[in-house]
Amino acid sequence: MNRNYIILTFLMLALAVGTLFLHLQKDTKQIQPEALLWDVLQPTRYVTTDQVAKRLIEKDPSLMLIDVRPAAEYTQFTLPGALNVPLDSLYTSAALANFGIPGAKVVLFANDAIAADEAWVILRRLNFKNNYVMKGGLNGWVETIIRPVAPAETAPETAFEQYNFRKAASMYFTGAKMDVNKDQKAKVVFKKRKKTVVASGGC
Amino acid sequence: MGPLIPNGIITGDWNFVIAILLGVAFGFILEASGFSSSRNIVGVFYGYNFVVLRVFFTALIVTMVGLMYFDYFGWLNLSQIFILPTFWQPMLVGGIVMGFGFIMGGFCPGTSFTAIAIGKIDALLFTVGLYVGIGIFSLAFPLFADFYNSGNLGNITVTDLTGIDASWLALAFTFIALAAFWITMLIEKKIRKKITDYKF
Repeated sequence: MNRNYIILTFLMLALAVGTLFLHLQKDTKQIQPEALLWDVLQPTRYVTTDQVAKRLIEKDPSLMLIDVRPAAEYTQFTLPGALNVPLDSLYTSAALANFGIPGAKVVLFANDAIAADEAWVILRRLNFKNNYVMKGGLNGWVETIIRPVAPAETAPETAFEQYNFRKAASMYFTGAKMDVNKDQKAKVVFKKRKKTVVASGGC
Repeated sequence: MGPLIPNGIITGDWNFVIAILLGVAFGFILEASGFSSSRNIVGVFYGYNFVVLRVFFTALIVTMVGLMYFDYFGWLNLSQIFILPTFWQPMLVGGIVMGFGFIMGGFCPGTSFTAIAIGKIDALLFTVGLYVGIGIFSLAFPLFADFYNSGNLGNITVTDLTGIDASWLALAFTFIALAAFWITMLIEKKIRKKITDYKF
């Protein structure tokens, strides 16, 4: 046998065995840094509390709320139907099973938007799409939906519409009743009609 | 770093230049390996010449193992490489048709052109037939369209399909290829003994 062939055979085998120790990047689904940058810059990845409230009231089945705060805070209060995925346990397989469901729109929130934003970036790097961050977080939720502030009288009509929606949403979520201003209750004044005097006399 | 064009290191205009250079290199290697002779090619089927198997298997395992090292060194991102979609039924049938053509004609499409380049008449006829076949298929395509698009598995690799690690597959393939080289050498020796070489 040709010696060169024998040497080449062993060289090739050694190289092939060598690939076993390369630790090739197993997760090839991670997105490229440039694509991530473009996605991070998209303002459409934020949703307002009004949009979330509207979908909650409509009972949109595609809406998935994920609370990324620690479990202790989650048990105190959260949004209706929200699941708890604490930020520090995001990488567990049980937590990741909540994402990447086709058709679902995942809205991430925490007390503010920062923790939710961090979770969003991690999920985007893992190539999960259709994730959104609730603008303002739960603080924003309380400020806008639960305790809406009445707009100034000179505000445009849309501001009043928004206020009315928020007021109604607040009632929906908290069960609060319409506050009726007693002072301004209009008094019903009965006006007594004077008896008309029938023309008397005559024949 | 790579692939060069998707990562913007060179522009897409280079596609054709690279294609021509690769084509020239491919033709040169085919001719240098003796693939312009249909006897060398069909020798695989009669067992007296396994050069086709050796050349293509060598190219395959060197590329496969080489690309893994390239990925490891960061020269080429394997996740960015285009993988042809697999249509399993048409590919199976196409392979059978190709196999028949291969043994009957004595050429595969690439080698027939290298054989034309050195002036072989059988190769010229082969390519005429090739274009007639392409023409018939194109005109009758509506008949085959459903079958042509059936069994689409997407852009998958064996690793995606089986879940076996790519390096283990590479090792297994290399092992099979190297074993094939040695075994075919023995077969060649055995059969060539029976062939009387008339020297004038």
